[in-house]
Amino acid sequence: MTGSVVFRKAFLVLAAAALAAGTAVPPALAQVKGGVLRVGNLGEPPALDAHWTTASITETLTNHIYEGLYSLDKDKKPIPMLAEGHTVSKDGLVYTFKLRQGVKFHNGKEMTSDDVVASLVRWGKQSIYGKALFAQVTDVKAVDKYTVDLRLKEKSAIVLISLAVPNNFGAIYPKEIAEKFEPAVKATEYIGTGPYKLAEWKPDQYIRMVRFDDYKSRNEKPNGYGGGKTAYADEIRWVPVPEVATRVAQVETGELDFADDLNLDAYDRIKKSTAARPIVAKPYYWLVAVFNKKEGLMTNQKLRQAWQAAIDIEPIMKTVAGGKSEFYRMDSSLAPVEITAWHTKLSGLPWNERNKDKAKRLLQEAGYKKEPIRFMTTQEYKWMYDFALLTKQQLEDVGFNIDLQVVDWATLVKRRNNPKEYDAFTTGIGAAYDPTHHVYLTAAWPGWNNDETMLSISAELARETDPKKRMALWERQTRLFYEKVPVIRYGDLFGMRAARNNVKGFDESNERLRFYNVWLEK
Amino acid sequence: MTGAAILLVFVLAAFLADVISTHNPTRLVPGSRLRPPGGEHLLGTDEFGRDIYSLVIHGSRVSLLVGVTTMLLTSLGGVLVGLLAGFSRRLDAMVMRVMDGMMAFPAILLAIALMAARGPGVWNVIMALSIVYMPRTAILIRSTVLGLRDLDYVQAARALGRRDLVIAFRHILPNCVGPLLVQGSFIFAYAILAEAILGFLGVGVPPYVPSWGNVIASGKNVIREAFWVSLCPGAALTLAGLSLNLLGDGLRDVLDPRLRVQ
Amino acid sequence: MSSYLLRRVLAVIPVMVVVVTIVFFLIHLIPGDPVAVMLGPEATPSQIQAARAGLGLDRPLHEQLFTFYARILRGDLGHSYFLDRPVTRALAERAEPTIVLTLSALFVAVAIGVPSGIVAAAHRGSWWDRGLMFLSLLGVCIPGFWLSLNFIFLFAVRLGWLPAAGYASIWVDPRTALTYMVLPAVSLGFNQSALIARIARSCMLDVLQQDYIRTARAKGLSPGVVTYVHAFRNALVPVVAVIGITTAILIGGAVVTEIVFNIPGLGRLIISAILRRDYPVVQGVVLVTAAAYVIINLLVDLLYAFIDPRIRYD
Repeated sequence: MTGSVVFRKAFLVLAAAALAAGTAVPPALAQVKGGVLRVGNLGEPPALDAHWTTASITETLTNHIYEGLYSLDKDKKPIPMLAEGHTVSKDGLVYTFKLRQGVKFHNGKEMTSDDVVASLVRWGKQSIYGKALFAQVTDVKAVDKYTVDLRLKEKSAIVLISLAVPNNFGAIYPKEIAEKFEPAVKATEYIGTGPYKLAEWKPDQYIRMVRFDDYKSRNEKPNGYGGGKTAYADEIRWVPVPEVATRVAQVETGELDFADDLNLDAYDRIKKSTAARPIVAKPYYWLVAVFNKKEGLMTNQKLRQAWQAAIDIEPIMKTVAGGKSEFYRMDSSLAPVEITAWHTKLSGLPWNERNKDKAKRLLQEAGYKKEPIRFMTTQEYKWMYDFALLTKQQLEDVGFNIDLQVVDWATLVKRRNNPKEYDAFTTGIGAAYDPTHHVYLTAAWPGWNNDETMLSISAELARETDPKKRMALWERQTRLFYEKVPVIRYGDLFGMRAARNNVKGFDESNERLRFYNVWLEK
Repeated sequence: MTGAAILLVFVLAAFLADVISTHNPTRLVPGSRLRPPGGEHLLGTDEFGRDIYSLVIHGSRVSLLVGVTTMLLTSLGGVLVGLLAGFSRRLDAMVMRVMDGMMAFPAILLAIALMAARGPGVWNVIMALSIVYMPRTAILIRSTVLGLRDLDYVQAARALGRRDLVIAFRHILPNCVGPLLVQGSFIFAYAILAEAILGFLGVGVPPYVPSWGNVIASGKNVIREAFWVSLCPGAALTLAGLSLNLLGDGLRDVLDPRLRVQ
Repeated sequence: MSSYLLRRVLAVIPVMVVVVTIVFFLIHLIPGDPVAVMLGPEATPSQIQAARAGLGLDRPLHEQLFTFYARILRGDLGHSYFLDRPVTRALAERAEPTIVLTLSALFVAVAIGVPSGIVAAAHRGSWWDRGLMFLSLLGVCIPGFWLSLNFIFLFAVRLGWLPAAGYASIWVDPRTALTYMVLPAVSLGFNQSALIARIARSCMLDVLQQDYIRTARAKGLSPGVVTYVHAFRNALVPVVAVIGITTAILIGGAVVTEIVFNIPGLGRLIISAILRRDYPVVQGVVLVTAAAYVIINLLVDLLYAFIDPRIRYD
């Protein structure tokens, strides 16, 4: 009896070590099919149409139902998913994709090039990543049943990465659905090729996904968001639990097997718990104050620089992170550490200077006379309010006058589109997998980065295909960012999740939840 | 009497807040986050390192302001509407249907709509709560008036040729004071609590302004890690509510002639 | 009687029209945009504009109001932007949890409130009286969410007696449904029992001083019989009135309880609909709760007549 317990423990330690090393999956013996995995999350998705919205909850849910041509590996680089592979013409203007054969949709139909073409066209008209790519595309068409050609106006560096991003992604729908719903109208029929299919959606109660028995997995091992996928749990039941204290309690009582977006103060308690374990979700967000560069006070670059010079980021991050160093990271790179290809290590950037004298001098040079600066934030995302409040105090200590406007999220996302209504707002920047995907550097997104040089570098980054030259451009862009200060980069904030001990095989290195390849120990 | 004494303490605290608080209640001190009660911080600190004792003392200003003003506004509005409805048979049905409409309106929606349209602010909270609670007072006053209207002494006054207005204010209103005070003390407590609930929903007075509701709401996030954050302002609130109800009961006993006889 | 009923019912209609119109303008005057919420943080203004047109939100407000009226006349409350279903269906799905919660909370409130009010009145000035009234005052003063969260931590997490949160339909599995409903009903009902207890006490006090009670006492009937048989029935009249008001308050109070205990009812629906600016849903919930309130009050008035034969409507 005792011996077997010791053995089991030793085995678990070994298995955990193997997982941590990322080298092997635990022995197949341990993996069991069956059970209902109950996941508590923050709220209700606005849609289950991946093309339609950038909402992260939609991203998480739809990635279980749908797949794109490409996906991201553990280093956040594109790897084929529904595509077998691709070739590029000599002039770099034609991408030819070979599709995997025998992949079935949830309705039993085989996925072919017609479905891919219709889906990509729709995605190219609605998704922010699709639109960026399709600005360079002249034509996408089916060559034969399993071959698709993508023709470009100019050389492009972003074809594969755009097809691989998990957010607002190029999910492949059956042709009938992709053509039935106009791009601007959200699709309300949910047929994909993913390992789980939608079974039932009862708003505010649950979303039930059940295993898709005809799922055709890739042969590779699981790798980041891609590779082989196995649906071990019979069913994933996503339960929206808006009150965070309730979410934590329900993991403790076992009413939920997994909970996302927990309050960081609960970390120590869950860590001590014998039934559940905390999981740190990286990179989550870097905190950001976005300036209105179209109208008003903050069009003054010196004022933006003064803000950047004044703030002391570490105490802000520490407070937002519930006083725990596990949940924040001090870093000036615009791409987080996890995105190894684009993480920069530049020195001498004016980030986190904590230089009050410099800030005061810049305020004077800006000709600032204590005019109130309208800084919008919301309590619906507690971390936004927290860092905005701490920022207000630090800025007022050097002579700013901050009018902190605490509104609800719906008001904030409406007002931020109108340049007359604010000077700055809070939000978070999630993982952007390519230098062209940083929305705050574009001219179209609220805040409106209108700096000619930065915009031309972004355009060049979209065309330049040589990785080394792209990195050089990206480093130049980063230096310009700290000089022009379109937004303020604070530190990286991590999220917290909790899993019951019977939840096995969860890949903790992924930023977003993925429950294929996860099983419930009996 | 006990009620009045406790209330007096709160009023004094509100007026002397600057003198008797030990820290600046709005100063954030990230380094001393969630300190338990004792030592430098009598009642501990909240998640921004603000001193709870000072927050509660300063918070009594907003909370008492919200409570008292809402009570006064609802009483005033309620008496006017109630008297009108009670005296004029023609207006009665119409006025009461309007009150029905107001009662039927979800209070929380009205408050949120006002907050969202006009921005969070103490006066918006007061306005929203007054609109929400006024019909209850109006209905109470009306039913009291209906009960008194046909009593002998009112009929006598009428026979003497007194005008309605005079009758209303000289003979009827004094008899409404008892129920009004009881109801008022309830509304006072409800208003302070409602302010806390609006804070919970993120639409109360701006969250960085010290008020009992805001401290309780922020303490909700750490209710298991740092119980003192929500407990101390919660206790203050309960105590204020208790004192008012005791006061209301006392006043009722004094003012209700029938109870005095016994 | 029946003409009174008819008049009451007819009087409801203008009230509802006014309520609905006010709601329509209030919600549209609130800043915020349902589409901006739905499209997510990375969406650009031009995308939002395109999707707004798809929902008809770019049309002038008065035009939208008339479409809204025209639809109501056909019994159609519109289509939820966020939930992709008719509002009537969304409401039907949420009605049951709220009704069950409100009724069970009402049951708890009456079960605590009426007996403690009567006992307190019967022993006026004693420690029983003071203790019960103190408890009921505590009930008024403790914020609902505070009580709810602590109930969860104590009974679900610590003791493991009851589930922390969730809902099960009473038609499907009554036993499970009951275990889910205990904590929410008690925490919501305890809050409301205070008002009922205090009204019950003061009504009993009034009644106990009436002549007929003195007569009954003088006749030598036992104090218990006097209190619980003679006085009780007459004290019930105002208590019933309060129960009517309480039901209305409970529908409002259910919002916080539904959020904390994760009950998929109307309270949670209206809060999320307001936060998402899902206009048709907000209007629908207000319409339904207003109607419920009016109907409950009508029933209360009829109950009056039943309990107190002196009240007749002409």
